[in-house]
Amino acid sequence: MKSLAIRNLSKTYFDAYAGAHVDAVRDVSLEVPEGEFVSIVGPSGCGKTTILNMVAGFIAPSSGEILVGDHAVAGPGPDRGVVFQSFALFPWKTVLENVAFGPKMRGVGKPERERIAREFLSLAGLSHAAERYPNELSGGMQQRVGVARALANEPDVLLMDEPFASVDAQTRMTLQEELTRIWQERRSTVLFITHDVPEAVFLANRVVVLSKGRVLEEVDIPLPRPRRWDALVESDDFKALANQVLQLVRSA
Amino acid sequence: MGWTGRILAGAKFLAPLAVLLVLWPILIRAFNVNPQIFPDITAVARAGLESIRDGSLFAHMGASLARVAVGTVLAILVAVPLGVLMGVSPGVSAFLTPLLRFFSVLAGIAWIPIATLWFGYGFGAITFVIFNAVFFIVAYNTLLGVSTIPMQVRNAAASLGAGRWTMLAEVLLPGALPNIVTGVRTGLGFAWRGLIAAEIIATNIGLGYMIFVARDFYRTEVIVFGMIVIGALWLLIDRLLLAPVERATIERWGMVRSA
Ligand SMILES: Nc1ncnc2c1ncn2[C@@H]1O[C@H](COP(=O)(O)OP(=O)(O)OP(=O)(O)O)[C@@H](O)[C@H]1O
Ligand SMILES: [Mg+2]
Repeated sequence: MKSLAIRNLSKTYFDAYAGAHVDAVRDVSLEVPEGEFVSIVGPSGCGKTTILNMVAGFIAPSSGEILVGDHAVAGPGPDRGVVFQSFALFPWKTVLENVAFGPKMRGVGKPERERIAREFLSLAGLSHAAERYPNELSGGMQQRVGVARALANEPDVLLMDEPFASVDAQTRMTLQEELTRIWQERRSTVLFITHDVPEAVFLANRVVVLSKGRVLEEVDIPLPRPRRWDALVESDDFKALANQVLQLVRSA
Repeated sequence: MGWTGRILAGAKFLAPLAVLLVLWPILIRAFNVNPQIFPDITAVARAGLESIRDGSLFAHMGASLARVAVGTVLAILVAVPLGVLMGVSPGVSAFLTPLLRFFSVLAGIAWIPIATLWFGYGFGAITFVIFNAVFFIVAYNTLLGVSTIPMQVRNAAASLGAGRWTMLAEVLLPGALPNIVTGVRTGLGFAWRGLIAAEIIATNIGLGYMIFVARDFYRTEVIVFGMIVIGALWLLIDRLLLAPVERATIERWGMVRSA
């Protein structure tokens, strides 16, 4: 586990279709201390995915730097686990093989990596589906595999880009509760991206509101844990915080 | 599909062929057809038994199958790496795609004349024709397969620690496999047709040669028997070998075929 630091990060795309430059991210600085859960919210197109893709190393920043611990990011690497909105599982591998993929890349032998994979599958409540293929699972189950796969590689930082956006509302709440439970057990450093304000507040220690590629405001979320929806929907503190963030997003 | 379903599907496929076999002798007799025009089923059966007894059928079949096997294996060995290379590099892919498409249309019998000039009559020329029939289609399908792997899936592998070679072995090849198998199946279909044509022209052994020399002696029963063997062999290869592999990859993984 390590801290994540984003310093003066900018990204300018060239939009070939419009023939113009787009400043997707402008001078963003952000610290995620070791073991903290930070959510980034903001309206569509404000640059959330661009930031995450730069942190993951999938695209290069135009300027600025990204540090994991004291190591500068230069491309994708196993120190940063990624959970994708589209799940991005390997359809030709079983659930168990998907989750064992990271350890396999590290050269962990077969019995040991299968033991690791089973451990994380059980953490995600998926022990019964180990031998199945991803296309035989529901969207909610597929994303549990996505989370287990990222965690099984023991990354220093976990990056999640709207991971629960494509599952139904009921499943989404369950997944959010499971994620807070897992996070409490393992205390990973997490950068979580969403445009769903209640989700951001429910999960995070701190919510960063993004507007047109810039950080608009950071809001601390001192709600007690463990967090559960049935308790929080009644909580005035939760409502007040969610309302505060919502106002910020709407003014963004 | 369960066993009963499979038997049912097999029966549905064979029923029209059975009807043809029954109608054949009836029509021959009804119209009193000259055996030099078209043989009766009994003569064909006799020719078949004869060619099995004297071993000539297996010699021809062996020669044909060996050519197909060698040409196909060589073609796959060259086409798959090339297709992967093109798939990961957009520039190379854009440049070579039109060429591949042109040659996949051309592949097959159009190569026979130049093949005989380059390799003479025999194994080399015929294997070359088969190689071309399989190579271009498999290379094109591999390229297509690799380029349809979602970027996020490749990103996922990279962020889990996959390097250049593990990316190839764990992501690009299995991701493109359904397309590759489809390409091999299509290519082999062309190769088989090309094989028969090439053997008619460029050799002295093989199923194509067998039916062509029979013509010189008006042995229509040998010609028709050879045609049946050629068709049946292909159906066996396609249905029992290629189709199950294709089904296994595409259906099990739930991957959409894009070729
Ligand atoms: N490859 C690209 N080329 C050109 N412009 C791009 C590219 N990717 C993103 N953009 C632009 O950059 C801006 C930020 O995009 P980004 O995907 O980061 O937004 P987002 O906050 O993730 O939005 P959403 O909530 O819809 O996912 C948008 O204006 C988008 O059109
Ligand atoms: Mg986005």
